[in-house]
Amino acid sequence: MRVPIGWLRDYVDLPDDPQKIADRLAMLGFPVEQIETRPVISGVVAGRITTLEKHPQADRLQVASIDIGADAPVVIVTAATNVAVDQVIPVAVAGAHLPDLTIEPRKMRGIQSEGMMCSAQELALPGEWFEDGIMQLDADLPLGSDVVAAFGLSEAVLDVDVTSNRVDAMSILGIARELAAAYTTPLRAPSFVQPAPTDAPAGDLPRVTLESADCKRFIAQRIADLPAGPAPSWMRIRLALAGQRPVSAAVDVSNYVMLETAQPLHFYDAAKVAGRHLVVRDAHPGETLLGLDGIERTLDDRALVVADEREALGLAGVLGGAASQITATTKELLLESATFTGARVRRMSMALGVRTDASSRHEKLLAPALADAAAARAAHLLWALGATVYAPQITGAPLCAPKAIDFDARSVERLLGFPLEDAEIRRALQALGCTIEPLAPGHMRVAPPAWRTDLSIPADLVEEIARIVGYDRVVAVNHAIAPHTIESHDFHVEERLANALAALGYREIVTSALHGARLFDILRRAGLTPSHLSAEVRNPLSEDQRFLRYSLAPGICEYLARVDAPMRVFEIGHVFMRENGHVAEVPAVLFAFTQEPGDEPAWRDSGFLRLKGDTQALVRRMTGVTPTAARDRRTGAHPGKSAAFLIEGREVATCGRLDPRAEVAFGIRRPTYVCNLYLDSLPDLVIPRYVPRPKFPTTYRDLALVLPLDVESARVAEIAQGAIGSLCIGVHIFDEYRGPQVPPGRKSLAVRVTLQRNDATITDEQADEAVGHAIAALERELGAQLRT
Amino acid sequence: MSELARNLNALDERFAAALAQADDERALDAVRVAFLGRSGEVTVLRRSIGRLPAHERPGAGKEINDAALAMEARLEDARAALQRHIFDADLAQSIDVTFPAIAPVEGSLHPIRRVLNDVCAYFERRGFSIVLGPEVEPDYYVFDALNIATDHPAREGFDSFFLSDTLLLRPHTSPMQIRTMQLHTPPVAVIAPGKCYRRDAVDARHLYQFNQIEGLLVAPGIHFGHLKGTLLGMCRHLFGPDQQVRFRPSYFPFTEPSAEVDTTCPRCAGFVTQCKMCGGSGWIELGGAGMVHPNVLREVGYDPETVSGWAFGFGIERLGLIRYDIDDVRRYLENDPDFLEQLG
Repeated sequence: MRVPIGWLRDYVDLPDDPQKIADRLAMLGFPVEQIETRPVISGVVAGRITTLEKHPQADRLQVASIDIGADAPVVIVTAATNVAVDQVIPVAVAGAHLPDLTIEPRKMRGIQSEGMMCSAQELALPGEWFEDGIMQLDADLPLGSDVVAAFGLSEAVLDVDVTSNRVDAMSILGIARELAAAYTTPLRAPSFVQPAPTDAPAGDLPRVTLESADCKRFIAQRIADLPAGPAPSWMRIRLALAGQRPVSAAVDVSNYVMLETAQPLHFYDAAKVAGRHLVVRDAHPGETLLGLDGIERTLDDRALVVADEREALGLAGVLGGAASQITATTKELLLESATFTGARVRRMSMALGVRTDASSRHEKLLAPALADAAAARAAHLLWALGATVYAPQITGAPLCAPKAIDFDARSVERLLGFPLEDAEIRRALQALGCTIEPLAPGHMRVAPPAWRTDLSIPADLVEEIARIVGYDRVVAVNHAIAPHTIESHDFHVEERLANALAALGYREIVTSALHGARLFDILRRAGLTPSHLSAEVRNPLSEDQRFLRYSLAPGICEYLARVDAPMRVFEIGHVFMRENGHVAEVPAVLFAFTQEPGDEPAWRDSGFLRLKGDTQALVRRMTGVTPTAARDRRTGAHPGKSAAFLIEGREVATCGRLDPRAEVAFGIRRPTYVCNLYLDSLPDLVIPRYVPRPKFPTTYRDLALVLPLDVESARVAEIAQGAIGSLCIGVHIFDEYRGPQVPPGRKSLAVRVTLQRNDATITDEQADEAVGHAIAALERELGAQLRT
Repeated sequence: MSELARNLNALDERFAAALAQADDERALDAVRVAFLGRSGEVTVLRRSIGRLPAHERPGAGKEINDAALAMEARLEDARAALQRHIFDADLAQSIDVTFPAIAPVEGSLHPIRRVLNDVCAYFERRGFSIVLGPEVEPDYYVFDALNIATDHPAREGFDSFFLSDTLLLRPHTSPMQIRTMQLHTPPVAVIAPGKCYRRDAVDARHLYQFNQIEGLLVAPGIHFGHLKGTLLGMCRHLFGPDQQVRFRPSYFPFTEPSAEVDTTCPRCAGFVTQCKMCGGSGWIELGGAGMVHPNVLREVGYDPETVSGWAFGFGIERLGLIRYDIDDVRRYLENDPDFLEQLG
């Protein structure tokens, strides 16, 4: 909200430095986003044009004589066309500083010009919001008075953030009230008393019918004989500084009162309200309304409208209608100052997609008492401009004072940690407008002021007291935490996992959990179907945030394609699937790497073996158990280069080469290896127990076995181990060969069998005999031949 | 000169010649075998003693033994000299130590996790537990239980991604306050880090997917000062021993009183008017905090008359910006390899 400091000073005495004011506001809970400083302007005074003559030497110039309240008039040569005798205008006299120039007397076609008449633009106001040419000031301005000081033209404008509980402070007066309380200085509030009304026959007064409970209070007031022309310059300048474009006297008054008090008003052209009867009701389904914004909307009964006897005139609290709006020719208006249910206004504004200054205030908890105050203020301002004001018609429940709160002074210390004397508490609350009734020492009954709808419990009052005495009074202290039994297990599993992956040489990345339909195109191009149904966001900000990821793989694949260099990465994050009408959410872990293609035969893939090694190491680190690997097939993985890892029959991970079609579809230009770890099937860590090895030496025998191609090495190890029994402490397959040295359809495996006795040194004969059993079993069961 | 003496002289000459020829360990060993081995020349000479008269034998034996001992000593010297020579040659080598290293395969943690781990370490030391929760939440946990009823104007501040009328991606970690308190009776001391989502347009300060850390302490006698003490400790742990903490009034429906928490700018300490980090104010905003609202305590079945508590919710990205001087939050989601390397 834009708050011109010059306007604030009307109500409260403030320091000169805008930064000081901003700092104080921040410590009251109203952070200032920006201090907009205004250019320094000096030497501009109010003057009246007394004579105006054509310049003898120039057709386009006129010579004006201007009374600036000094002994002698100033003579100014001007090219402006909107000037006339008797106008009061801003005059920059010799020596004046304007944003872009310094005024000096100079001869214009032979006549000495002693100054310059100023346009709004030259006074650093938005030129397009004011009349073309020279700015017109109010006739009652004392001649010679300083225009800059009178209108606060050099005063900074604060951009103040107001939290949603403080709709009362979404106003200049509300901010002034806060500052007055903080500085313990009086507030000069304007009068909110209705001007003496003009009597009128009852039939000429507006009638109001409230057909909806969502209108709490409605004040209608007939105001006639509207002034023609613009609002007074002080009002137009204030509106402009606050960011509101001046329009006409009546519209400006309505905006001015809203900015001043927070209560939005609406003015209807009285001639266009059928029967002078305003009805607040639910919209009829199908009813249409052309709004002030030029958009025609079809309504349903969720909308609350203010209507006349024929049709809807406006959306209650949101937007007026074009048909009944006041225009330059409007002579008489009906003022509306109303309180609606915030929730209703808010829902309507969201459903219709229209947000206005009015709706952003109405949707919060505006105090009904504000409606009366704002109506009075507007009536008063229009009356001062010469309008005829009739008595307000008030409809709705009688005003009741906000509920008083029984307050125990000890709650200050209980919540803030420091005690306050009753007197200090009283002072703070009274400064904010509360009424205090002392009950007993340490006890009081606190009635919040009418405009504060946000104060209802003692804790609210504690915050108010803290704001006024200063949040800096809170002293930082330490506390001992009593023992509790809440576990940090899940976090530490994640932490161990991340550390283990980093130790294995993977870098953690974080990718988006939201993606667009593009991913499905990529999968389709790769000939793959998604493995799960995706949960969908109803209101994505952009199409590439429509779906929740059901796997970490696509995000990592897109990343690897983008980086386009060999990378080793991992991600830990949640994935989401749509399952029978609900959304399942599970933690997931994925690590992957790309590498340059190696120079190796097609039947060998060292990338896979490297990935398998990392997977096993990771699972061992997390569980204390080495998982067994088995061939696996699933979407997205190369069908011949993929394995599942099991612990006690439960799948804990799958790993493999990415399906080459997916690599191409994602645009990854290197072989990619991916491992998926299933965090929730991972057993808890088994603490390892140390087993001392027998102290007798080991020996080994290396075998070269020729075997059919489809024999898996795990089977070879298993049979050798089984045939030898406990003497065998390891079967390690360390090389594979396929090629001309072995018959077609066969391969050669290099196998090292390691042997040890736990009671004596094993002899060569015992070793040979043991290995002989293994060879015989391998020949018998797998058709293995010893290669010589 | 006796024959033995002549023979010993000749042997010595041959030994010296052979030793001079030997320039490595193996050659030295061959010399030892040839002269001092089991069937070496010294042994041959010893055998010849038998041909001498009996009275000459002891003297001859001693001469041969002395010669053999001398040869062994010379052999040992030669071996030592050779070893010295090898070391000297090795030690004389010098390489370009500025030549680029052979890079290890390095892994790393994401900067978000690194900051998070630092924060968690602090809170665990202070007796807090760390709890995790879902990112898709019913609106009950996100709003209703946190004293934000339907149509509450504050809902607008949480511009959330909805999956259905009642299901949404959590826009803050505060649902974990409710989940934790519903599961446990006081005292409760937890922090809850995790991802959050809001419909924010992405720019240097905003991401639609970000991380928050929630803090919650509920026990008898807890007040605002405890919150300030805890957060002061956290800031000093993260940013340095001179950090200060400031509370500013604010509004959150689930705390009362509420505060925005600022810490002193660790980069400029308020002395630089053009400071990029704090804009010259000397303060950096960390996030929201406050005393848990009585309605929230009642919602989870706690008695606001007997226990009180504080809660806070800070953005982890922001803590990272301060800690690592990161210029733009988008870098967190871009994962540029250079970014990961520099901060890993």
